[in-house]
Order: sequence, then structure tokens, then C-alpha cells
Amino acid sequence: MPESNEEKAKTFDPFEPFREMRDAYLDAMSKTMIESVNSEAYAKASGAMLDWSLTATVPFREAMEKAMLQAMQQLSLPSRQEVAALAERFTNLELRVDDIDAKLDRVLTLLAHTRPGPPTEQAKRRERPAGQES
Amino acid sequence: MNAPDTLVEELVEFEDRMRAFVQAVTTKVPIAQTPKTQVWSLNKARLYRYDANPQAKHRHRVPLLLVFAIMNRPYILDLRPGNSFVEFMVGRGYDVYLLDWGAPGYEDRNMNFEDYALEYLPRAIRKMKAISGSSEFSMLGWCIGALITTIYAAMRPDDGLRNLLLLTAPLDFTNRDGLTFAKWTDERYFDLEKVISAYGNMPAEMIDYGAKSLKPIENWVGNYCKLWDNLDKPQVVAAWQAMNTWVTDNIPMAGAAYRQLITDFYRNNLLIQNRLHMGGERVDLGRIRANLLTVIAEGDHITPPCQSEAIMHKVSSADKHLYRIPGGHIGIMAGSAAHRTTWPHIETWLGTRST
Repeated sequence: MPESNEEKAKTFDPFEPFREMRDAYLDAMSKTMIESVNSEAYAKASGAMLDWSLTATVPFREAMEKAMLQAMQQLSLPSRQEVAALAERFTNLELRVDDIDAKLDRVLTLLAHTRPGPPTEQAKRRERPAGQES
Repeated sequence: MNAPDTLVEELVEFEDRMRAFVQAVTTKVPIAQTPKTQVWSLNKARLYRYDANPQAKHRHRVPLLLVFAIMNRPYILDLRPGNSFVEFMVGRGYDVYLLDWGAPGYEDRNMNFEDYALEYLPRAIRKMKAISGSSEFSMLGWCIGALITTIYAAMRPDDGLRNLLLLTAPLDFTNRDGLTFAKWTDERYFDLEKVISAYGNMPAEMIDYGAKSLKPIENWVGNYCKLWDNLDKPQVVAAWQAMNTWVTDNIPMAGAAYRQLITDFYRNNLLIQNRLHMGGERVDLGRIRANLLTVIAEGDHITPPCQSEAIMHKVSSADKHLYRIPGGHIGIMAGSAAHRTTWPHIETWLGTRST
């Protein structure tokens, strides 16, 4: 009898009933919430809330942008728009470089095919499996 | 039995569990561990080539390019050692490449699907073909990556695409009643231009909130309960942390791409009707001739199965298969059972078509 009580004491998890209740509750809530977020009413409400928050923050955002622009100009620093425009020009340059790289690859491939003799480095690199390139 | 000691022990154990829980939730773990080399870049995009596994018994000639979504990190495909699709395929002798779109900045707000599918992707493919020495290639697109690869496959069918794999591809938006995102972005409720003009790009936080709101209890409560219940299982905690690291590492979506996603796809369903135009040309899905494997997750609440079925009747591919698998949008490729189900199926299908 005393042994059986000790065993019961060791195996008893006081949180187990709570865990089962929790899981049952979460399952029920999950089904309810999934139905709710799939409803037209939710779509309408969430759209309205987003719209309201964006409208409410417009004056603050515009004021902040204007103040930042003036501060940047006074500090002789580029504005966000100017940095973005510069970045776009860099991307265009990268596109041009990539085009040149493509043409160079084509030229090297043609040379490798037309020139007799030992394979070129590029041809060797192409034949070498991945991970073994020097 | 000594009741006070037992209670004290319980309280001490509870405190230890709380510490372990907080540490697990707040710690980022190393991910994307499969060795790779960057072989190309353009703006924020990076193309990586994974190092070959010298122990692979057989090498496949046709390289494989992995393309994921533009608003999540692509290392979900290489989550952690032992649970990495990249590691799995490299181990089976595939020459694997990964295209990382990078995180768009304010200067990239005008990038749309035409830029991704017809500018960046072809250039990455060109580089992959030059490095691998193969004129043919396989391409796996997952989620929005599948949308981009489908557009590419339809617009550039003669570029050497031999095998096209589409995972949980959001291509057909006909069944708007079955698409929660379609309801939320309905033109009556969602002012798209107001959002884009406010932020430039679609903020990562809003995308994350939207994705988690599809199953709010599971994502904001159940997920943490699962961690709490398994704190004494290091494997489960490690897997949870790896997934949490990825889930909390969202990136914004370029504004023009988001506008196009909502207008051309969710609202007007142009692609599946062959009414989408890019670069002045119509995107005709009938021009897709590559071998096609479409994988559908039957429990997918982000991209329901109905979005990936119609493509099978639109393409001209002679060799096409539809594979349905139980599981969710991410789980079918990154879950604990993926290495027994999805990955072997993909590898078996691709292996016979990569010689």
C-alpha cells in the first residue's frame, strides 16, 4: 500500500488536467477564429481599421517627411528620394555589367569550341563538378 | 510522501521551464548550413551554388535551380542539417542552385513580376547554365516562386527548361470564396493604393500579420504551447527554434509587385485565363512544354489546392504529374515528415528526367 501511494505520487502530473483543458479550449477557439477571419464581416472590419489608421497617420507622416527633407537640405545631406534614385542608377549599371558578362561568356564559349588543343580554363571549370573549382 | 517538498520541487521545475522557454523563444539558431558559394548577383538578388557532396554515388547532369517567394527568406529550403531539402538533393548528386531575391529597399518599390520573371530570373539562369556547362536545367518554384517560374516558363520556353516543379503554386484565383486573402484584399474593403503610397513597399510586418491571421490561435498561441510541452525534448526544441528563426525573418515585398499580385492575380485572375501581359506579350500557359510536376499540400490554408490544379490542363507538357500530399504550405517541404514523403517523391520524379 505505501509503495502504491509513492508510485502514484511520482507519476501524478498536476498540470496534466490543465493541459487537456487548454488543448480542448484551443481547438474550439481555433475553429471559431478560422471561421471568423474567413467572414466578409472580418474582411470589411480589418479593411476599415487599416484605412482608418493610414488616414489618421497621413498628417504626421507628411509633417515628418517635410521636416526630414528640410533637415537633410540644411545639413547638405541627400534625401531619401535622392538616395533611392542613385541606387536605381547603380542597378542599371549592374544590369549593363551583367550584359557584358553574358557576352564575355558567349565569346569564351565560342573560342573554346573553335580553338583546337587543350581545353581552356573555362571549359575545364565547366566540366569540373561543383565544389571542386579552384 | 512529503507534500511541501513536492510542491517546492514543482515550483522549481516550473521556473526552470520558464527560463528554457524564454531562451528558446528569444534565441536565433544557425540555419542554412549547407556549404555554398555565391556565383552571381544583381542588385539584392544572389545566386548560390551548393558544393557537391563527394559521397554522392551518382551525379545528375541537369542542374536544379530553387526559386522561393519574394517576401520570405529562401533558406527554408536549407533549414538545418538533417532537415534540409538542399542537403537531401546535394547528397543525391544534384548540382543545386538557390536564387535568393534579397530584401527590397525603398529604391526597389517599382519592381514587379515582370522584373523578377523576365529580367532577374533569366539572368540567373544564364549564369547557372554557363557555370554548369549544361544547356538544360530543372527549376523548382515554391509559393510565389512558383508563380514567377510559371511566368518565365511560359515566356521563355526555349531557354532550356527541361523540368518544372511547382510546389503549392498560387496560380488560379477563380475560387475567391475559398481564398481568405482574396476576401481580405477585395476592392470594396482594401485600399491598395493607400497602403502602397504610405509605405512604398509592403511592410514585412503586415505580410507576417496577414499570414498568421489565417490561423490565429495556432500561430499566436498553439505554436508556443507546443514548445512549452516539449521543452524536455532537445530535438523538438531545435526544430522549433529553426522554424521560428525563419518565420520571424520576413522581408518586405516590392510595392509594384504587391500591387500586381493583388490586382492582376487575386482580383482579376489574369494568369490562368491567359490574359496576363508582360513585356508587351501575352503570357500563354500553353507555351509551357517542360516536364511538369505540381505538388499540392492538401492542408494548405495559404495556397488551397484549388489554386494549383488548373495549370495541369493549361500547359502543353506531354509529361506532367500532379502529386497531392497531406500537410501544410510549409510543412510539406520543411516539416519533420518531408524527408520521408515529399523529398523522395520529388527526387524520384526528377532523377529519371535529369540524365
